[in-house]
Amino acid sequence: MLEIKNLKKNFGKKKVLKGINLTIEKGELVGIIGPSGCGKSTFLRSINYLEKPSFGHILLDGIEIRDNDKLRLMRRRIGMVFQQFNLFSNMNVLDNIIFAPVTLNIMSKESAIKKAREMLKKINLLDKEKFYPNELSGGQKQRVAIIRTLLMEPEIILFDEPTSALDPEMIGEVTNLMREIAKTKMTMIIVSHEMHFIKNFCTRVLFMDDGKIIEDGSSKEIFNHPKDERLKTFLSKIKNI
Amino acid sequence: MKKRIILLISLLCFLITGCNEEKEKLVLATEASFAPFEYYQENNIVGVDIDIAREIAKELGMELEIKDVYFDSIINEVKTGKSDIGAAGISYTEERSREVNFTINYMDAKQVLVIRKNSNIKKIDDLFKKKIAVQLGTVADDYLTSNYPNIEIIREKKFLAAIEDLIDYKVDGVLMDEIPAKELLNDNLMILDEPLVVDHYGMVISKNNQELLDVCNKVITRLKEEGKIDEMLLSHMGITTKKDNKSLYDKFYDSIIYDSRYIFILEGLRNTLIIAIGAVILGVIIGTTMAIIRNVHDTKGKFKILNYLARTYITVIRGTPSILQLMIIYYVIFKTSNVSIILVGILSFGINSGAYVAEIVRGGINSVSEGQKEAGFALGLSYLQVMKHIVIPNALRNILPALGNEFITLVKETSVGAYIGIVELTKASDIIASRTYDYFFPLMIIALIYLCITLVLTKIFAKIEKRLNHVRN
Repeated sequence: MLEIKNLKKNFGKKKVLKGINLTIEKGELVGIIGPSGCGKSTFLRSINYLEKPSFGHILLDGIEIRDNDKLRLMRRRIGMVFQQFNLFSNMNVLDNIIFAPVTLNIMSKESAIKKAREMLKKINLLDKEKFYPNELSGGQKQRVAIIRTLLMEPEIILFDEPTSALDPEMIGEVTNLMREIAKTKMTMIIVSHEMHFIKNFCTRVLFMDDGKIIEDGSSKEIFNHPKDERLKTFLSKIKNI
Repeated sequence: MKKRIILLISLLCFLITGCNEEKEKLVLATEASFAPFEYYQENNIVGVDIDIAREIAKELGMELEIKDVYFDSIINEVKTGKSDIGAAGISYTEERSREVNFTINYMDAKQVLVIRKNSNIKKIDDLFKKKIAVQLGTVADDYLTSNYPNIEIIREKKFLAAIEDLIDYKVDGVLMDEIPAKELLNDNLMILDEPLVVDHYGMVISKNNQELLDVCNKVITRLKEEGKIDEMLLSHMGITTKKDNKSLYDKFYDSIIYDSRYIFILEGLRNTLIIAIGAVILGVIIGTTMAIIRNVHDTKGKFKILNYLARTYITVIRGTPSILQLMIIYYVIFKTSNVSIILVGILSFGINSGAYVAEIVRGGINSVSEGQKEAGFALGLSYLQVMKHIVIPNALRNILPALGNEFITLVKETSVGAYIGIVELTKASDIIASRTYDYFFPLMIIALIYLCITLVLTKIFAKIEKRLNHVRN
């Protein structure tokens, strides 16, 4: 269970997050939508402390995530997938995937390689294990990045606009992989502009605007019966496109 | 990789200590391009001064070690105790005697004017408004400077360069000591009959070493009484072979093969390579450390004092010429310790290079995308793990061209090592030219060697770059 209590973030004088309270249960598939600059990415990045919150508390199963010596252990439990994939460009596909679990002594090199190959096989990239990131397409990179996170066996995975940097024909291969992961009862929190995907995939959707959560409900409630005027405007704009 | 570095370092240590065995030695500083007083013959330095110094060493029961440095470094060598005696046809002057002690004079030398035979200078009075070349820091230099304000003085590092100027019509005359002047006369050059000034040669010894001065004076007095010094002079006169119309092959033969002169080039090459490799390793270690200190400070706010020191180091080193750093390290910091000049070279060039490498590496670290670091942190990796396995390897790839540039510059920079007596490539060509009176082949050959080193380095860097960029064949 992930609890967020009165989370605030300021960049200088600018208030980006203005007090967020939220509880996410295990296995929930949470989508976060909202206009650009509403703070949704900052919020997501605050959860594993890539952004240091100015105020408030984040607790994972009752343990607070803070900038202390436990932070690295907490981060292992929270995976993250980035918009720009962020594969390590000096390592090939296989090394990208096994580097962290082997370096952190979570598993032996042999079992890490075995597991990585099993996963690569599932997504049909086994023949690319010796390739370097610059030799892969965007969709391939993002799927490798997701597997890199999965091998750490996290309890939650944060997706920060995972399909925004992809060509349209590659979005499907990434979202399909995400659907596969959802079957394992993984807790997933997704910031995305891919409304269709959020609507069909997520069990719960948050609408953020101006650093606050404005509406919090099931996918049906948010997309079919929006209450707040701002949410209505936001959805109507998207439909117009 | 670690093993290889250790191997390389131990090899370097071996090479350095290999050239520096510990024995009771009398160290003589000279500039061996002043026949008949000191010059190279069959790769040994010989001459009148050397003969006298040997007598002194014999008297002391010590072994003579000869150090070939620039003339204007000799006083400093003796003053700082790097050498025991300085002898290079050094004329007594008030100013010099304030810095070091002079022995009694062992030879009187006239300063004469060397001119071209077709010159319109017939007597001293014709010198007005003419261009005269001298060797920097010599009596001739002092004398002209203080007595002939209307003469344009060209100060050359070596008097051979002054003679070249004369032959090439760049100057109208060269003022120098009579005896060596006679050694280099040829069909086109002559000595103006009237001597300008007479001076006295003495050897120089540190003011702190009265004992050695006494021994030297005793030996010189004895040699003078026995008429040995004139004998020595005679035996060294007319040794230099001069032919004016040598064929190109003869010139090449004289420069490289005759007297095994290529040995100088090989020794120079060896020293240049040892210093360059040692300095590169040291520079990379220092530079990377500085860059990481600065990066930790900039990103995490730690290491305030270390960061300040690193910035000061970079500013000071980049703000001063490397030749000054070399001389300060040798003559000031290592003033009293008996450290190998090769080691001083490695240290000095390594420290110099470190400042440039630091900025190159810092730029490289900054060039690695924030995203890759964040991905590392998000996986639970520590700052050090992210630095070591992700940031540094990627930075290395980005900075490789700049780093290659720095290494190539460094190889050529080692040529100033001659200032503290290191026989590196450039000095090797100087030594050969001082025997053949011809700069062409020695200069061309070492230029070619530098070029080859650079080409090899460029090839190596291109290979590494290709590998780091994961280019598939």
